[in-house]
Formats: sequence, structure tokens, C-alpha cells
Amino acid sequence: MALVAGLLGLQAVVVGARAAQSNRGGTVALAFDQASQTLFKARADAVYRSGDGGRHWAPVELPPASAPRTITAIAVSAGGNGALYVAGPGIGVLRSDDGGRNWSARKEGLPGTDVAAFATHADRPETIYAYVNGNGIYRSEDGGQHWRLMDAGPRGGITRFVHSNMPGSMQSGWLFVAGPQGVRRAMDCFCGWRDAGELGRAVDAVAYDPGQPHNVYAATDAGLFFSTDGGEKWSLLNTPGTPIEALIVTPGGTLYAAGADGSLFRRSGAANRWERMDA
Amino acid sequence: MHSPITCWSFVLVLAAATARGQDRAGDSIEAGRRIYAAQCAACHGLRGEGQPDWDRANAAGELPAPPHDSEGHTWKHSDAMLYHLVRDGWRDPYNKTQRLTMPAFGQTLAPGEIHDVIEYLKTMWTPDQTRFQQEESRQAPFPPEAR
Repeated sequence: MALVAGLLGLQAVVVGARAAQSNRGGTVALAFDQASQTLFKARADAVYRSGDGGRHWAPVELPPASAPRTITAIAVSAGGNGALYVAGPGIGVLRSDDGGRNWSARKEGLPGTDVAAFATHADRPETIYAYVNGNGIYRSEDGGQHWRLMDAGPRGGITRFVHSNMPGSMQSGWLFVAGPQGVRRAMDCFCGWRDAGELGRAVDAVAYDPGQPHNVYAATDAGLFFSTDGGEKWSLLNTPGTPIEALIVTPGGTLYAAGADGSLFRRSGAANRWERMDA
Repeated sequence: MHSPITCWSFVLVLAAATARGQDRAGDSIEAGRRIYAAQCAACHGLRGEGQPDWDRANAAGELPAPPHDSEGHTWKHSDAMLYHLVRDGWRDPYNKTQRLTMPAFGQTLAPGEIHDVIEYLKTMWTPDQTRFQQEESRQAPFPPEAR
């Protein structure tokens, strides 16, 4: 409890501070709320928000932890209802409907709190997915009030995943998974996992462009790869030097990439160059 | 207070209705089995076993026909989705040929026949799979024309 209070106190000190000062340690996840034009980032132990594209950050307070916890995912629901989710081992799934002031655990039907990855549906505000280590992928269609095991997940496990509304699915979209063996994808009916191209290396983060859903990005230790055909063929993008650990593409087409050293870059579709946001 | 005769009449009516329902379900499955043998078995196998290596694209870039039995993923789809897949067909967006991945049968089979063949597919699943599919179908049942 004292440790949590200390962390919250530290967060209060850095309100309004530049990212370079507030973001010690790597960013593990990024999310973007289109309605409020808010960018969120998570480290393993904290969540921050920015209303100016990542130049300035303010902490988002989480409920006190009663056990060790590690944030692995943050996500915003589709459709502008503003629901914000935080997930990870020791956390399970937390949801806030007021921008992070109040949180509720969404655990009915989940086998535990060891949530390794989490994603929101691209179009359906109340549909969310959680990958629980050793169990598989669970889906909730009521914002996490009830969960249901849908699939064991791809072989090799899941590091991160994202739901995409790329056309062609038998159901309502696709899941693109970043894992130890590359990117794998499945329709959201969970009708079989297939390799997305032949990256042949571990992928730390995956993202897609909501405005052009065939455009998919994959971050690896060899750089950031880009596909324009839903993950069939990949090409290496010119990227900042730091290894990329988290990715998000806004509905407007701006790609944000967070480095393992806490740095943040963005690249808009129009300008084919990276802009460092935290420097 | 109901008389014993009234109660027994109700039980008999209920039993008759249940029997009629079971007969109809049995008729539907039997009709579906015949349609399956004529229209589906050539690709999906006589016992719903699918084609070899169905879970990866072949050399032409097409997905082979998947099994419909408990080894496949048919049981993960709602009644509505299965109906539309059979009626309209489906094209895998990664299919490198010009063919549909799943041909459309809307010009070949009547809505009731599509319903029947789906009811037959359900006989190939485990009880857990059947329960899962029933849950999926709760919000996505057969469309009115196929009920």
C-alpha cells in the first residue's frame, strides 16, 4: 500500500512534465481515443495520457494493487463511448468509463488475472478480447462483465494482439497476433490461425491502420516492418534507431511508435518522416 | 385444483408435441444428410473430415475445404453465419485465385434445405461444441426464411 501511495505521489509530481522526464522505463503499450484526441501510454507500472500528441503527459491513476502487477496492455473501446481498459498479469482487466478516475475489475468468466494481452474490437464498443496465459483467448461482448473462452490461441503464445476491421472475414474482423514466431492472424470467428507472411522472427508489437485496414505494422528487434496487403508481404521501414516496443495508428493515419528506452515517435501518412515527440 | 384427467391430458399433449418436434428434427437431419452427400461431401468429405492440410493455403493459394466434424471450426459459427456462408459463399481475401473459397449454394438449395444441411452438420460435434454453437446462435439465429 505504501509503495502504491509512493508511486501515486511520484505521478503527481510529474503532472505536466515532458515525457522524457516522466517516462523512465520502456513504454509497453499505446492507445488512442479518437473522440477526445487523447493518446495513452503504459509502462509496466503506470499509465499516462496526453492531449497534445505525446508532447506532455499526465498520469492516470489506477486502483491500489493488493498484489504484484504488470501492465501489458491499454486500449480504448470503439465507437467513442470512451471506455478505457488496462490489462496485465496480476491485474486481469480493468475498465474505466470516466477517463481513468474510477475503475472496475472485469473478471466474471476469466480464469484468473494472468492476462498477457488484451484488445478491443475495431467497431463494436462492448466487444473485447483477453489472452490469459495457459488458457487461451476470451471474448466479452458486454464490456467485460461476462467472458467466454473462444480459442486456445496460436501456437507459441501471444505477446500482443490487435483486432482489425480489415474486410474479408467470415465474421466481423480479424485478430493479428504478435508472438515469438512472427505475426499470425485469424478471423474473429477463430476459424484457424495462419502465419501472416514470413517474418520468421519474434514480434514485439503489431498495429493496423483503421483508415486503411490492409496496412499492418510489426515491430521486431530487426526494425519495424510494414505490410500493405494484410500481412502477406512485409518490407522494412526506415525507423528511429531505438527498438520499438509499442505501436498505435490513429484513425487519422498517424503512426505512433514507442521505443524501449521510453522515447516516442510519430509518423503521419502524408509526411514520410519520423518526428520525435518527447524531445 | 386440477383433476387427474386434466393433468394427464396435459402430459399427453405435451408428449405428443415433443414427439412431433423430435420427428421434425429427425426428418430435417435426414434430409440434410442426403443434401450433404449430394452437394457437400465431394469437398468436405463423406463423414465431414475435410481435405488434407485444410488449415493452410495450398500451392494455388487457396484454403482446402475444412472438416465439419469436431476437428474443424464449423461449430464455432452461429446458425446465421453458417446459413449465409452456404447461401452466399465466401472468398478468403488471401485467395490467390479468382474462385470463391466456399461456393455459393443460394441458387441450388432452398432456404429450408440449407437449414437442413446445417442441422445435419450439428450431428458431427461434441456436446461441448454443440453447446458453444447454441450460445453463438442465441443472438444470431437462422434468418426468418430458413426457420
